[in-house]
Amino acid sequence: MTYTTRQVAAANTLDYKVYIEKDGKPVSPFHDIPLYANEEKTILNFIVEVPRWTNAKLEISKEQKLNPIIQDTKKGKLRFVRNCFPHHGYIHNYGAFPQTWEDPNQIHPETKAKGDNDPLDVCEIGERVATVGEVKQVKVLGVMALLDEGETDWKVIVIDVHDPLAPKLNDIEDVETHLPGLLRATNEWFRIYKIPDGKPENQFAFSGECKNKKYAEEIINECAEAWEKLIKGESADSKGIDLTNTTLTETATYSDVAANEIPTAAPAPPAPIDKSVDKWFFISGAH
Amino acid sequence: MFSIRTAKLLLPRLSPLKMSHSATATARLLLTQQHLTVNRCNSTTNSHISPESIGITTQGTQFTADYEVYAVNKSTGNILSWFHDIPLDFNEEQGEANIVVEIPRWSNAKFEISTKLPGNPIVQDVKKGKVRFVRNLFPHHGYISNYGAFPQTWEDPTTKEEELQLFGDNDPLDICEIGTAIIERGSVKRVKILGSLALIDDGELDWKVIVVDINDPLAKEVFDIHDLYTKCPGLLETTRQWFRDYKLADGKPQNKFAFNGKYKDRKETLEIIKNCNRSWRKLVTGEITGDKIPSIENSTLVGTPGYNGGFETQKLIIRERKPDAPIPVEISKSHFIPTD
Repeated sequence: MTYTTRQVAAANTLDYKVYIEKDGKPVSPFHDIPLYANEEKTILNFIVEVPRWTNAKLEISKEQKLNPIIQDTKKGKLRFVRNCFPHHGYIHNYGAFPQTWEDPNQIHPETKAKGDNDPLDVCEIGERVATVGEVKQVKVLGVMALLDEGETDWKVIVIDVHDPLAPKLNDIEDVETHLPGLLRATNEWFRIYKIPDGKPENQFAFSGECKNKKYAEEIINECAEAWEKLIKGESADSKGIDLTNTTLTETATYSDVAANEIPTAAPAPPAPIDKSVDKWFFISGAH
Repeated sequence: MFSIRTAKLLLPRLSPLKMSHSATATARLLLTQQHLTVNRCNSTTNSHISPESIGITTQGTQFTADYEVYAVNKSTGNILSWFHDIPLDFNEEQGEANIVVEIPRWSNAKFEISTKLPGNPIVQDVKKGKVRFVRNLFPHHGYISNYGAFPQTWEDPTTKEEELQLFGDNDPLDICEIGTAIIERGSVKRVKILGSLALIDDGELDWKVIVVDINDPLAKEVFDIHDLYTKCPGLLETTRQWFRDYKLADGKPQNKFAFNGKYKDRKETLEIIKNCNRSWRKLVTGEITGDKIPSIENSTLVGTPGYNGGFETQKLIIRERKPDAPIPVEISKSHFIPTD
C-alpha cells in the first residue's frame, strides 16, 4: 500500500490541488482510503492537510471529484490562519481521517451541537513536520470537543506509529507525562485562532478537558457510521458532497473512469505568501 | 564626549583600489561623504553608508561550515565588515541605531557575525565540528524574534562591567527585533531602541536589546519597554523564558539574568549601547589587544590599525555558491521542558 501525491499548480494559489494516488492512480482521500490500517483497528490512516508551522488553510475538498486537497478561500481570497503569539501557524500536523463524516443532520447527545459537515479532524503530535497529502499511519490517544461557531468539531489527538515516542504513548494521560504542556497549548490554540479575524473565542465542551482514547474511539466509530450512511446514499442530506469513488464497487457513486478524468501532474514551485501572513497577533489574556 | 577628531578618524573612505567598479557612483558617494562629514561631525559612525546601500554576497553551502555571508557596498561591490564597517549610526536623541540581522524569526540555524574571520562574514556557529541549530522549545518555533547585533559595538571581555562585575562575551551587542515582518539574514535595518535584558551566559554578560524596525507599523505604537506589556502581551515574559531555557534541550543548564531578569528601559539601554560602542572603539583603535580579541581588519576606518584600504574580494570569495544542504530532520522536533 503506497500512497503518493499528484500536485497540480503552485501552492498558495487558487489553482493548487493535491490529489492522493494509490499505486499511481488517483483515489479519494475522503472515500477510498480505508479508515483502519490494520485488522485489529489499532492503527488508522490519517490524511495530512496542513503541516505543522504553516499557515495555509488546506483541506480536503468535499465538492470536487475525488476530493483533492485545496486551499480554503474566503470572499475569493486564499485563507491563511493567523499566528497567535507565541504560536507559528498550526501547532500540529493537521488533517482528517478518511471515511469519516461529522454529520450535520445529527445533534451529538453530549455536546448538544450538530456536526460540522467535514471529515473528522486530527492533530498528529509526532516530532516530524509532515507534508501536504501525506497518508500517515497513526494511533489514537484522545479527543477534544471544540465548539466552533455552534457546531461540534472534534479534534482527535494521534501520533504517528513510527514516531520514537509512539511506543510510550497509549492514552491521553501519557501525553501530559511525556509532552507536558502540549494539551494546554493545543486547547489555547483552538480557542484563540480565529480571534485575529474578528471572531469570538471558540469554546470547548467538557470544560476543555481532553477525553481519553476510549472516548475518542467511540467518536471515530460514530463518524465512520455517519460516513457509511453518506456513501450508501442513506443520509438525510448529503450536503452536496461529491461521493465519487474508485474502490467501493457496491456504491452508486463508484466509477472506474473517474481517475482518468483527473488532471495530470503539473507541479510548480510555491507562490510567494503575502508578507502580512508573517504577522504575530497578541491576544490579551490568552495565556 | 566624542571628539570631532575621533569622529573624523572613524569616518570611512572608499578604497582607491576599488574605485574602478563604477566611477560615477563612487564620485557620487564621495560627494555624499563630504557633505555628511560637515553635517555629522558629532556622529560616532561612518554614517554615509546607509542601510539601503548594503547588500550581501554568499559563498559555500548553506547549513554547512563553509557557508559565509559577506556585506558588500552595493554601489562599489566592495566587501564590508559587518562588525566594523557597517555604521551603528547611533542617534541618542531619537533612540535609533542600525542593526544587522543574523537569524530570521522562526528559523533554527544559529548564524552569527564571525568575530575571528577577516571581513567578519556571517557564518553558522560550529560546535564540536557540527553546525549549530537551536532546538524548538515547545510551543516555540526556532527563534521567537528576528535576531542579530548592533554593528560597531562590542561586549568587552577584558574589562569587568562596573555594577555587575562581569566580563563581556566578546561579541557585538545582541538584538531582538520584534516587528511584524520576518527579516532576512544579512539585512541592515534602522531600529528604535526599546529596552534590554541582561543575560548571563556561562558567567559572561550578554545583553539582549529589544528593538523594532522604524518602518514597522508597530514602531508607531511603542516608545519604551513598558509599552510592550500592553501592545504585545506575553512577549517580554516569553522572551525572558525563551532565553532562560533555550539551551536545556542540549543538556545545558538554564541561563541566568542579572537584575533579577528585570528589563532595562529605553534610557538605560541607550547607555548600554553607548558603552558597547565605546568598547568597540577601544578595540578598533588598538587600545585593547590580546589573544582572543576579534579581528579588527576593516575597509572604512582610515587611520585605525586594522584599516586595509579595501578587502581583496578574490582572497575572501573563493568558493562557489552551492545548493543548500538539508536541515537535519531532528531539528523539526519540539522539546518539552516541564518548567513553569
